[in-house]
Formats: sequence, structure tokens, C-alpha cells
Amino acid sequence: MKSKNKIFFAVGFLFIIFLLVIFIKPIFEASEKNLENKVAELTLSSNDLIHNYVNNEEKSNKLYTGKIIEVTGFVKQITFLNDTNTIILNSENETFGVICDINSNQKEKIKALKLHQKIRVKGICKGFLKDVILLNCSIDLMTNE
Amino acid sequence: MLLSFADFNKNENQFIARQGQVTFFSYTSVENIEAKNNQVLSILDTDTQEVAISMLMRAFVFKKDLMYEHFNESYIESDLYPKANFRGKILNFDTKTSEKQTKIIRGNLNIHGISKEIDIKATIKKIGESYTIYGEFEVFVNDFQIKIPPILSSNIAKSISIKFNFQYQHYEE
Repeated sequence: MKSKNKIFFAVGFLFIIFLLVIFIKPIFEASEKNLENKVAELTLSSNDLIHNYVNNEEKSNKLYTGKIIEVTGFVKQITFLNDTNTIILNSENETFGVICDINSNQKEKIKALKLHQKIRVKGICKGFLKDVILLNCSIDLMTNE
Repeated sequence: MLLSFADFNKNENQFIARQGQVTFFSYTSVENIEAKNNQVLSILDTDTQEVAISMLMRAFVFKKDLMYEHFNESYIESDLYPKANFRGKILNFDTKTSEKQTKIIRGNLNIHGISKEIDIKATIKKIGESYTIYGEFEVFVNDFQIKIPPILSSNIAKSISIKFNFQYQHYEE
């Protein structure tokens, strides 16, 4: 009987550790960075986004920074610098653009992209330098339009 | 503002890097922290031999979310000071040579709203008609009035090492 009890406790103990690893560990690690299935708080065109930032950066920071936004625009450039996948979206104002750092799980979609193609990109807005910067982006190729 | 940018474009001796890389490291016996920013903006003017750099603090990517939160909310206070900037001059910059050259860039580094004069050693390479600048330097957390609570002071190094790498292109757009 005693050895049976021991086994029972050992199994129970392992099970508890297993649960802890599954539920507690993620708290200390980076959370799921895939935004593909998350809902964007705002949807707008790259022109509007840049226009707003150029006119009033402070106000736009409050509106967009730190939020998941969805931006529609035309592909101006695709780069793979420093092991990242980046798409730069065009705007009416040629000086400014939207830099989208694309999540590595979207690689297949990047391969399918062409320059000047219209796409929708969803990512976390980080702010504005000379371009608006979006991180962790997912791509929607807008095949329905 | 748009006008000043338009003037900017006419200058043929200006180069831009929109996707410069800046990485910083903090090594302590307790933990190592590393963060990377791949969207750093820099403009190099070979006429005046000046460099300007600007980056978003929230665009630094950490291994753990908690580090990102502490960095932006407690230490850097990114809501108040969303950007770090540098503006400086490359001393004795030879714009013609295609050989690798190591130069001092002297200028002002602004982090957390505090400006500090600094000398940065950088390696410059001219490849074709464009330039690459990279290097490494150290900053002290204390110099920028970044407050770290005593409980966490053993987790964060007193001096942070910063690496940078910029690949410039002609400023044409």
C-alpha cells in the first residue's frame, strides 16, 4: 500500500509542476506576438495615418501609439535587412511612409507580394520618425477586391 | 516643416538610413538584458560631415514582455520621452576614401530628456556611392537620471553597452 501511495504522490507532484510550467511560465516570457487573429482598434489608409502624424504628432501619438491598427496602402519597398522582413508603404506625400516590420510567420505572403500592390497590414503602432513605424505586422493581401 | 524637407531633398550630399539597427546590452550576474531596434532613422551629410540619429524607445524589442514594460514605463518613461536623439560631427572624416576608417563622432546624445555630450568611436566604410557606419560605446545609467528601484538595481548594469549599424542610401525621395 505504502509504495502505491508514494507513486500516487509522485505522479501528483509531477502533474502540479507540469501545470505550473504551462500556466506560470508564459507570464515571464514574451506573450504571443502573433496579431493575425486579434481585432484592430482602428482601420485607416496610410495617407490618413501619415497626414495625421505630420499635422499633429502629439495628438496622433495619443490616438495610435501602442494600439493595434490596420493600415491600407501600396507597397513601395520590401527589404530583408538585419534578418527582418520589412515592407514600406507609400503615401501621397513622398517624403513619408509607413515602415511595417513583418512577423516571421508571414514569410510566404511576403514572397507573393509585388511592388505597388495594394495591401492591408495589421500591427502595433510605435510612433513616427520620418515614417510611421508598425511592429509585429501581419499581411492581408486583399484578394477579394 | 514640409518646406524644410523639400530643401533637404535638393542636397546631393545627404544620405539616409531608415532601418538602422541599435542594440543595447546590460550584463549582470543576475540576468542579461538585450534589446534591439531595427527602425532607427539616421541622416548623414557628407558636406557638413554631420550625423543625426533618431529612434523610438517603444520600438526596442526585448526577449521578455516584463523587461519591455519596465524599460518603457519606469526607466525611460516613453510617454514623456518617446525618442532618443543624437546629433554630432564626424571628426576628420575623409569622404573620398573607399578604405575602412575609424573616426570619432562628437555630439550630443539625448535620452530620457537629458542631453549629454559624448564621443563615439565609429567605423565608416564607403561602398560604391553609399556609406556604412557601425560601432559600439558605453553609457552610464546615472548620466541620464534613470531611476532604478533598489530591489532591481542588481539586475541592471550601471553601464550599458550600445551597438549600432547604419547602412545609408542616397536621399532621393
